[in-house]
Amino acid sequence: MTNKQVLGLCRDADTTARAVEALEKKGFSGNEYEILTAIPYPEGTFGEKPGKHRLYIFPFIGALCGFSAALLLTIGTQLFPPLVTGGKPILSIPPMILIMFEGTMLGAILFTVIGVIFESRLYGPKLGLYDRRITEGFIGLLITDSPERITEAEQIMVGAGIADFKHSLTSKDNK
Amino acid sequence: METENNITEKQLHKDLLAPVFGFSRRFWIAAGVLSLVLLAAGLGFTWMLIKGLGVTGLNRPVMWGFMITNFVFWVGISHAGVMISSILRLSRAEWRLPLTRAAEVLTLMALFTAALHPIIHSGRPWRTMYWAFPYDFSREIWPNIRSPLIWDVSAIFTYLISSTLFVYIALIPDLAIVRDRASGIFRSIYGALALGWRGTNRQWQLHGIVSVLLAALILPVFVSVHSIVSWDFAAVTSVEGWHSTIFAPYFVAGAIHSGVSAVVVVMALMRWFYGWNNYLRPEHFDAIGKLLIAIALGWFYFFSMEFIFGLYSLEGPEIALRNMQIFQPPWSIFSIVFLLTAFFIPVSLLLFRRVRRNILAMFFLGITVNIGMWLERFLIIVPGLARKTPFTFDWGTYRPSIAEIGIVTGSFGLVFLGLLIFAKIFPLVPISDQKEGQAFKGEIQIGRVKIKTTLRD
Amino acid sequence: MPDNTTPAKTEYRSALAPTHIQPMNKAGKRFWLAVGLLAIVFSMGVAGFIWRWQSGWDDRPAWGYYAATFSFLLSTAQTAPLISAGLRLVAGPWRRPLARPAELFAFVGILNILWFIPLLKVVPDTQHRRSIWFDSPISFQIWETIALAVLISCGLCLLYMASMPDIAAKVGKAPGKQGFPVPLGLSWRGNPHQWRILKLGLVVLGAGYIIFLIFQQTIFASDFGLSLVPGWKDALFPAYHIVSSLQAGTALLTVSLFLLRQWGGLKDYIGLDTFKGLGRLLLVLTLLWFYFWWSSFIVLWYGRRPEEQLLLQLFVSGPIRPLFTLVLILNFVLPFLLLLWSPIRKSIAGPVIVSVFILSGTLLDRIRLFTTAFSVTESGEVIKTLPPTRVPDTADIFILMGGLAGMALTYLVATRLLPVLSYWEITQGKILESEKQIGLRKVKMVAKPE
Repeated sequence: MTNKQVLGLCRDADTTARAVEALEKKGFSGNEYEILTAIPYPEGTFGEKPGKHRLYIFPFIGALCGFSAALLLTIGTQLFPPLVTGGKPILSIPPMILIMFEGTMLGAILFTVIGVIFESRLYGPKLGLYDRRITEGFIGLLITDSPERITEAEQIMVGAGIADFKHSLTSKDNK
Repeated sequence: METENNITEKQLHKDLLAPVFGFSRRFWIAAGVLSLVLLAAGLGFTWMLIKGLGVTGLNRPVMWGFMITNFVFWVGISHAGVMISSILRLSRAEWRLPLTRAAEVLTLMALFTAALHPIIHSGRPWRTMYWAFPYDFSREIWPNIRSPLIWDVSAIFTYLISSTLFVYIALIPDLAIVRDRASGIFRSIYGALALGWRGTNRQWQLHGIVSVLLAALILPVFVSVHSIVSWDFAAVTSVEGWHSTIFAPYFVAGAIHSGVSAVVVVMALMRWFYGWNNYLRPEHFDAIGKLLIAIALGWFYFFSMEFIFGLYSLEGPEIALRNMQIFQPPWSIFSIVFLLTAFFIPVSLLLFRRVRRNILAMFFLGITVNIGMWLERFLIIVPGLARKTPFTFDWGTYRPSIAEIGIVTGSFGLVFLGLLIFAKIFPLVPISDQKEGQAFKGEIQIGRVKIKTTLRD
Repeated sequence: MPDNTTPAKTEYRSALAPTHIQPMNKAGKRFWLAVGLLAIVFSMGVAGFIWRWQSGWDDRPAWGYYAATFSFLLSTAQTAPLISAGLRLVAGPWRRPLARPAELFAFVGILNILWFIPLLKVVPDTQHRRSIWFDSPISFQIWETIALAVLISCGLCLLYMASMPDIAAKVGKAPGKQGFPVPLGLSWRGNPHQWRILKLGLVVLGAGYIIFLIFQQTIFASDFGLSLVPGWKDALFPAYHIVSSLQAGTALLTVSLFLLRQWGGLKDYIGLDTFKGLGRLLLVLTLLWFYFWWSSFIVLWYGRRPEEQLLLQLFVSGPIRPLFTLVLILNFVLPFLLLLWSPIRKSIAGPVIVSVFILSGTLLDRIRLFTTAFSVTESGEVIKTLPPTRVPDTADIFILMGGLAGMALTYLVATRLLPVLSYWEITQGKILESEKQIGLRKVKMVAKPE
């Protein structure tokens, strides 16, 4: 069965929080609704549970990759061919440390950015069901579910005080 | 007296997005003037390409002059962004919010401009390019990683990439705001840049985490960049006045000093140019002025130590160099101007609240500091080289040529033109941060006094 | 703007009553036991000093451990008040519980200045060696003494001024008990004028303490370190000494707060937030420690000057290498790796354990630097040979232990003389906090008066 989406819009955090509470009481889980805001609200404002993510792994992997690449580069360029410059040993550790440090940090930062794009699901310009008024300060409560549940969700949201809605037929893109 | 007003969201969008969605006459005039300034660099550079490095004032033993001074200067200015954005974010200084993006963009433009200088300085930049790309192995002699000049390349490259990504990640929510207001092809372009940002809870949560994470990761890079640039000089034993262990923190402190002062200048210009009086208020200038006092004092400590320990060993060549810097014109005049403009005048004036809250005064103080800091780098580089050799008949002097003056002047045009173009395309004041600050500000009443509160999550 | 927040509550939590700091009123058995033990160890230190005195003032290498102990006390106890003064200017609410415990370390300055006097006899005048005083007609000993005296006075004034409101309120005294026989609270009444003067005074004295400490550490590191070794021209060494002191001072403060929390009955006042803030500060200072050491090392290493290579052998890579390696591990590697890990940094035990490593590392570092500098007896332009590494004898061990015990003993005495927490600052913090309801969440709001 094709899922439907409904986006409820209101200006008030309390109303949205009430709607989320009511939805959860009726068995809607965190996977079925999403809250869209123009600013970051403190965690738990709408009763949502903090999402699990693996963002912290990315900088570590990136740092390791950067470190390894820099280590290979520095060892390789010093050994092929081995030329003594400035009276320093062939494998000069202090300069290697500097370049390995830069490589490590670059790797960590690059992978962190890749990680946030991946974990935030920022895959591309397609927005799905969305309303431009969200960036004007409205709070959007987006439900994705079967058509029967969507109707129920909409009634719950009306009961909580949300009056403005947008619909889509499928859960695919709908500008 | 200006106070923080309750600005409606509509007004906020109108004010901060006006440069993005409209072309004003002021923009065209500014772009025209800055392009002319940049043209000076173009002409100087072209003349140098045609006639060779001989048209510069460089000659044995002073092989580094205006262009390298300018390189170090712009690397220093590039420290503004991370200072304002990262350090103040990690220390939770809320007043930094309107300044962060401008400071970060100043970093990018300054770093890019700085990176151009060694390429221009090489005289035949195409040779530099095909020596560096691909990473040279054709003659089986790789770039020497033991050289501080190669450390420079790795540090500046890392810092440039990191700063760019830092700016971009912070910009994403604002790109979504612009996307939602744009139309036609611009909507698609901003939409693509915004990567489909919708403002979900997960996106905001991760955005917050990554902002702190990137701020923490970029800080060591920020310290390492100017330290590595300083080791271009400190690692050298043959030039008097260079081989000092204090150069790294001395340069970093100087970079922060000149960078933050440059941010003050940019803040004043933003306020006047765009009419952002509600967003860049006297209290922001007051806060950054206090920060400048602390930074200036730290910088002065390092300068004093560098000077005292320069004389400490009582080595003849070192004493001769300091003698030249302090007592022989024109170096003595430069030294006096440097000390007055970099430290004594700004710090004495910044102690007064009235001065810190006066935008015009802060603007001129910012320029004053940067004049001093430019001279500082000049006085480190050129006098030492002029007295480099042990034989006095080999001592040299340096007089900058028109080409070099043009290149240096044009670099200022490049940086400010870059800032202007950025402000044309992207919001220069972080709109989401402003909205967040407005939404979560509060007040408590204690007795008859109301005090503003901020969120501590 | 969406008007979706409820107005901030205007009530504030009730201020702390002076009797809330009750646990510090009584000096229990544990306190007297600690005092007794520390007094015994301190007297061993005095015995060690007398023993060392017998070897004479001219045997400079023999006084290396004595100098290292003084430097350690300077770097830890005398730097702790700076942490409070600096944080008062910039940091948030978490710094309030640590203000008084940090400032109480100013008392250790009294021990320090007494400890310092013999060192003035040991170190030769600057006639035949390089010095930052060049040909100053005023002897370096006078500069050193004045600088240390001014620093200690400033610290004690800062402590006294910051304690005045609490002394006047008889904080820490049981109800009915009088405070000092001498009215040390002066005529403090707490009117707005007095508070304004107090705040200005704390800023001025705090800034002054920072400046004086930086000056004093700079000249100490130069006169008792750099200038004793011919050819040791390291402009960064004084700054390294300062940064290392900041790290060690913060570590000492962290450990002291933990002990006060556990054994002083102050668990309700010294909470996780304070240790989180200290953990972050320790991480930054650990990175700075390495940065300052590395900046010095890379320039000397790269230059390849023979005299500088010998200096590197003297302090880093020669016979001193095992000690240096240990210092690097304790002051950088372990603290960095542990504090990088968020669950450790944001706990109470984490920063405390790291602080113990840092304090041990700093003590070894001071031994490395000052015993080595004191063991160089060559004169001339540059050092030509490596002096033998001095292994501590019994007198040296007694001196080291006595110094540490003396510091702890002085601090314990100070906690009996003045309230151990800054009651007025903690109360002020409570008043400035409020809560706000946003949706389903209550968030903390903090006011920052101008």
